[in-house]
Amino acid sequence: MAATFVVTLREGFEAALLLGIVYACLDRFGARDHYRWVTLGGVLGLVASILMGIAVTLLSGPLLDLGPDLVGAAVIFAAVGLLTWHGWWMSRHAQALRGDVQRRVAEAEATRRLSVLGLIAFTGVFREGAETVLFLWGLVSQTAEGASWDRLAGGALGVATAAALGWAVFHGGTRLSVRHFFTVTSVVLLLVAAGLFSTGLGKLQGLGFLPPADAFWDTSFLLSDRGLVGGFATGLVGYRARPTLIEITGYALYLVVASALFFGGRRATGPR
Amino acid sequence: MHRFVLLLATTLAAVVAPSAATAADPAEIALTIEENRFQPEEVRVKAGAPFVLVVTNRDKTAEEFESRELRIEKVIPPGKTVRLRVPALKAGTYPFVGEYHEKTAKGRIVAE
Repeated sequence: MAATFVVTLREGFEAALLLGIVYACLDRFGARDHYRWVTLGGVLGLVASILMGIAVTLLSGPLLDLGPDLVGAAVIFAAVGLLTWHGWWMSRHAQALRGDVQRRVAEAEATRRLSVLGLIAFTGVFREGAETVLFLWGLVSQTAEGASWDRLAGGALGVATAAALGWAVFHGGTRLSVRHFFTVTSVVLLLVAAGLFSTGLGKLQGLGFLPPADAFWDTSFLLSDRGLVGGFATGLVGYRARPTLIEITGYALYLVVASALFFGGRRATGPR
Repeated sequence: MHRFVLLLATTLAAVVAPSAATAADPAEIALTIEENRFQPEEVRVKAGAPFVLVVTNRDKTAEEFESRELRIEKVIPPGKTVRLRVPALKAGTYPFVGEYHEKTAKGRIVAE
């Protein structure tokens, strides 16, 4: 039970975190009646995951060998792009976002922010969605064939716990003052996106599109990235116990560039 | 125009079917998943030479071949075979697991 719990919690955590953040963003924009955009993105992400899960079981040959990985890499970089764009937007519109509710909603609507939040929800769910769907489907069919219930129960509990964490992020976010919320969100998105970016680079290394390399350092004796805590650290800040030089460089470069985008403009547009 | 089409076709062929185009085909190593275990659990390869892991899942449920060291994460649906291209490795041991059954599905690649 514990083993399947860890798998689904680890796979679902990042999606739940992103959903919690984008729902909270809408709340802080004062645009609660636009939740449907994020819900739609999340549901479409789930549908895409199921379709992908079905496609994978139907495909074979080179399409199966490479297809899902290319889609996976594309989703990662799309997510990085969307998160970066959103963080940059928040810094550009910091003044308006600290204004009254009407101004916040108007700003978000005028710049099509709501559909971007929906797209973030979509990529967040779709990223590990197909893996989770196939894993859960395997548990369901094993249980149907007479295996004991606890592996399935563990998997379901993992998904539920991830969802509860996402809800906690949302709830915590909406309790912050508007000003703190956008600062905290910018920092969290910066770290999540940096982690995703380096994960994407690692994936390209694994696929042979970037030169392979040995681990540059090894901190697995301190914190394994296979366990629960390490799994959270991976979803939150992109922790890797044995990163390659390309992953480390990519992470650092992303942090530098995105920090400038997210926080560089604050002085000009922020409050005195 | 014809030359352009030809160029496009060769480029496409080079991108789409790199396995068919390579001169010296890398060695293929078969790996089977059965009852949530890898068979064999230890794969010996030559260091410095790329190879292809041909992984067949004989179980009725999906498995995810995962190696953090090799940066490979690959779902293998029940009854399917996937080919994983692995670049030349330095001498050493590279563990892998079946993420969906981590307790039993464990193995390692030993490059020497």
